[in-house]
Amino acid sequence: MKRYISITAAVLLAAMTWLGCKKDQPVDEDGLLITTRAECYVSNFELLGADFQTVRTKNAVIDTTACTINVEVFFGTDLKNLWPQFSLVTDAKLDPKITGKVDFSDLANPKQYTVVSGNRQVRKTYKIFITVKP
Amino acid sequence: MSAKYHQHTVFLFALLLAMAGCKEKDYAIPEPKGVMQNDAIKRSIGPNLVGQRIEFTYAMALPAARGKLVSAQVDASIAGAPATFLEHRSFYTNSSGVDVGVEVGSPSVNKDNATTVTFTKDTMAATLRYYYVVPEEARGKSVKFTFTGKSSNGETVTYNLGPYNISVQDMKLDLKPVDAAACYISIEDMAVYTAAEAATRPDKIDLVYVYRTTSNYLHSFVAPSANAQYLPGVTLPNGVNRATKLIRTWNLRDQQLARLQFGVFIDDADFEKQRFDAATDAAINTKAEAGLWVLTADGKYKAYVFVNAVNNTAKSATVSIKRYRLN
Repeated sequence: MKRYISITAAVLLAAMTWLGCKKDQPVDEDGLLITTRAECYVSNFELLGADFQTVRTKNAVIDTTACTINVEVFFGTDLKNLWPQFSLVTDAKLDPKITGKVDFSDLANPKQYTVVSGNRQVRKTYKIFITVKP
Repeated sequence: MSAKYHQHTVFLFALLLAMAGCKEKDYAIPEPKGVMQNDAIKRSIGPNLVGQRIEFTYAMALPAARGKLVSAQVDASIAGAPATFLEHRSFYTNSSGVDVGVEVGSPSVNKDNATTVTFTKDTMAATLRYYYVVPEEARGKSVKFTFTGKSSNGETVTYNLGPYNISVQDMKLDLKPVDAAACYISIEDMAVYTAAEAATRPDKIDLVYVYRTTSNYLHSFVAPSANAQYLPGVTLPNGVNRATKLIRTWNLRDQQLARLQFGVFIDDADFEKQRFDAATDAAINTKAEAGLWVLTADGKYKAYVFVNAVNNTAKSATVSIKRYRLN
């Protein structure tokens, strides 16, 4: 009987130690899971105005090879207060983060955003070119 | 011991439950109070604006043996505008859903703060509507109401309602700016002006309404100071150059401005809170049921301009304005 108990205890102890030694999933500085994915691209792009309505005249053209996003906005759009929204590939994240309204009014120097892949190894910088519909 | 104990406790509980479950309440017809009674409610909702009505209903009733109604009176803490009245008819709703009035008294008389109806029909129960038209002196203050009913044997009942806050803001409905004619909108005057009229008061013109047939322009509200490309073909009168700030918004269909089914109201607090950091100077291609938050160049007024309707053939729009004075 005693032997049974000690054997059980030993088995349990071993199991516990084994579990305890299991490494936690790696997370990055934002508390996001670092995965094994290396894909790194923007799949969709949206621009909202100050009234939270879209200002695009048509779908944005995203070139994942040249890393550019071309978007045409309505005449009269207030370029100082736009809210960009990116759809990224699974597990990827954006740098810098979008925290609110962004000023896109300097059309000569397009804004740049970097997409970081799920494994945090691949970084691709996208340029956003805005043209105002005449 | 313990098992018995448990048994007894369970038994007692069961007994109690059974007793509670079996208790039956006999219904008794409520006894009417044998005295004159009254009640009042406020019917209108939303901010109480100067020049607008606040609507109440006041009900009085007494048993047949105790006489009849003699008079009904409403005292407001601030005398209402002359248009204030107490309805001298009692309404019922007929089968078609129409309110039909039955005259029970002589038309109401306003004297100082009191509005009185004297009953001319032998009646022991009546509900009268009271329309208080907010006077200018009540702006930004609060108003209280005391409703009083009298019966023929000297009984008096009173009912107090309020205090109700009166908003500071003003409202103007259904201004019709027309492209190339009366297209200059003044928030300070709550009016639209032609170019000739605007030239005489350039310091009061806050917005220009422009209509162009190009599909990306159509009905636009532009500050006079805006870039010339947003005022195509518009020659502003001399001196009209105020830098109005505006923010276009959707889905803010204030019921008092829009008179639609949406129960949304803009009150003074909303004007206080409205920020203009993200403001621009042109609202191009504005659709019906959109609105503009406006801050005048001198910082004197915040306003909400609601676009009730736009008309492409007449090249005009219909706008309603709520305005809030800041200093």
